[in-house]
Amino acid sequence: MGTLFIKRLNSTHWWLHILLIIGSITTLMPFILMLSTSVKTPAEVLTTTPSFLPKLWRWENYVDAVTQLPFARFYLNTVLVTVARVIGQLIFASMAAFAFARLRFPGRNILFIAILAVMMVPGQVTLIPNYIILKKLGWLNTYMGLIIPSLFTAFGTFLLRQFFMTIPNDIEDAAVLDGCNPFQVYWLVALPLAGPALGALGLLVTLWSWNDFLWPLIITSSTNMQMLSVGIAYFQGQYITNYTVMMAAATIASLPMFIIFMLTQKYLIEGITMSGLKQ
Amino acid sequence: MAQKRFRTAAAREAIWGYVMIAPMFLGLGIFFYLSLGISFFISFSKWDVLTSPEWVGLQNYIYLFKDPVFQKTLWNTVRYALMVVPLGMIVSLTLALALNTKIRFQKIYRLIYFLPVLTMPVTISIIWKWIYNPDFGPLNLFLHLFGFGRLLWLSDVNLAMPALVLMDIWMGSGYGMIIYLAGLQNIPREFYEAAEVDGANYWQKLFYITLPLLTPTLFFSMVTSLISAFQVFDIVYTMTKGGPQESTRTMVYTIFDNGFHFFKMGLASAAAWILFAIILVVTIIQLRSQDKWVHYS
Repeated sequence: MGTLFIKRLNSTHWWLHILLIIGSITTLMPFILMLSTSVKTPAEVLTTTPSFLPKLWRWENYVDAVTQLPFARFYLNTVLVTVARVIGQLIFASMAAFAFARLRFPGRNILFIAILAVMMVPGQVTLIPNYIILKKLGWLNTYMGLIIPSLFTAFGTFLLRQFFMTIPNDIEDAAVLDGCNPFQVYWLVALPLAGPALGALGLLVTLWSWNDFLWPLIITSSTNMQMLSVGIAYFQGQYITNYTVMMAAATIASLPMFIIFMLTQKYLIEGITMSGLKQ
Repeated sequence: MAQKRFRTAAAREAIWGYVMIAPMFLGLGIFFYLSLGISFFISFSKWDVLTSPEWVGLQNYIYLFKDPVFQKTLWNTVRYALMVVPLGMIVSLTLALALNTKIRFQKIYRLIYFLPVLTMPVTISIIWKWIYNPDFGPLNLFLHLFGFGRLLWLSDVNLAMPALVLMDIWMGSGYGMIIYLAGLQNIPREFYEAAEVDGANYWQKLFYITLPLLTPTLFFSMVTSLISAFQVFDIVYTMTKGGPQESTRTMVYTIFDNGFHFFKMGLASAAAWILFAIILVVTIIQLRSQDKWVHYS
């Protein structure tokens, strides 16, 4: 059994495995350290004779993290904002993408270029005016402020348009002959076909929204409106030396994305691939 | 008659087209186009949000370019991008090349290298802040075995920036790896088969087939990773707040600092437009250069 395993290893390039294993250790080490520190006692972290496994398992760090921070609220805010952003982006982007890919109307090309132009301007340029617009609307420190400006995605429109371009004409023609108007063709024919593309975009938006930092940092001011990322950064600033509880908090915050990724790996990777290969 | 019906059908299609793009343009109209206009106007004004803005012409831009801290900020941002982009590309490409073989455990390796991409930058900062801790951080304890002294990392003027670069490469390599893997898989097998018939070895295949045919992907990744390197913020904010002695202060950190700590909206907006101009110029230079080295089949 063992020799068979070694033979198999030999049959591929063993030096590639060494390279990849060193890389894997480097990649995993910070996570391992995070997990092991999250169950240590503060005293054990401050020694210069490190160990991977704690001498005394202190699970209370997790209890401390959850009680010292309004974690439930941060979670609720993050999930709510992320779900709303994903649904909104998928609806608005797919609708516009369908129109750009399948419908003919005067000015279509110029309007599409206007969408592409959005992707070229770094978000920081519109950061301050958007803050001011929200202030005028009274949306600072509200869900509206966290969600609505993030619903309109030039990138998503572009990505989905590329997908809708590939749908064969005859499927659409059949629907038109059956008396469907363009919106019905979009809703009943194109959207169901676009499942994988919508899934890929949805996952990219989920990842981006979950990790979003600068926007929630500037527009939320009270603890009960904060998202996980900002809440944890704030916490880190306050409990600067309490590494154990901070690592527990970090672990709790990272888990959902890991789980979602394990379940949907294929789509997310397809999404990144699509966004990376289409010119 | 038929012509008329055709016209009304076309008109109806056009109306549907406008209706379906309307929400997107309403949103982008307010939060992008209107915002862009306001931003341009503010960059020529002095404004603290509370009182009404005062037109100052080019003063914000002149002030920034004369300010030694801003000059340092510009240089820091460029230096950061020049370190992160090539090193990150090399690491990602090496990983992708190693995983593009029929190697065992390929899926597990890919999963491991992708984990940091999924992790919140803030969380990563918490971990790495501890890793870089001079007294009991794992990195110094590890380096101590090889006779290194007490390195200050994030509080050392010369080490803080490389420390952020190292962390960013650890964070981002998995993303590049996925993009390169996709590019590698698009290279037709026939090219390799032909080369094998001619007796080419691994390195010849790498330099004469793989890399040239991968140049469109490399080009895309270079353009996008330079753009995001110029926009680095999260890790600067959570790790160093621009310190020590402004050695890690970057453009977006300056925009944030001026705008939301000092409420100097004019200076912040001017800095944002300077960043935009830099990104635009760098991107155009790259687009111009692509004829020289990018092979589109």
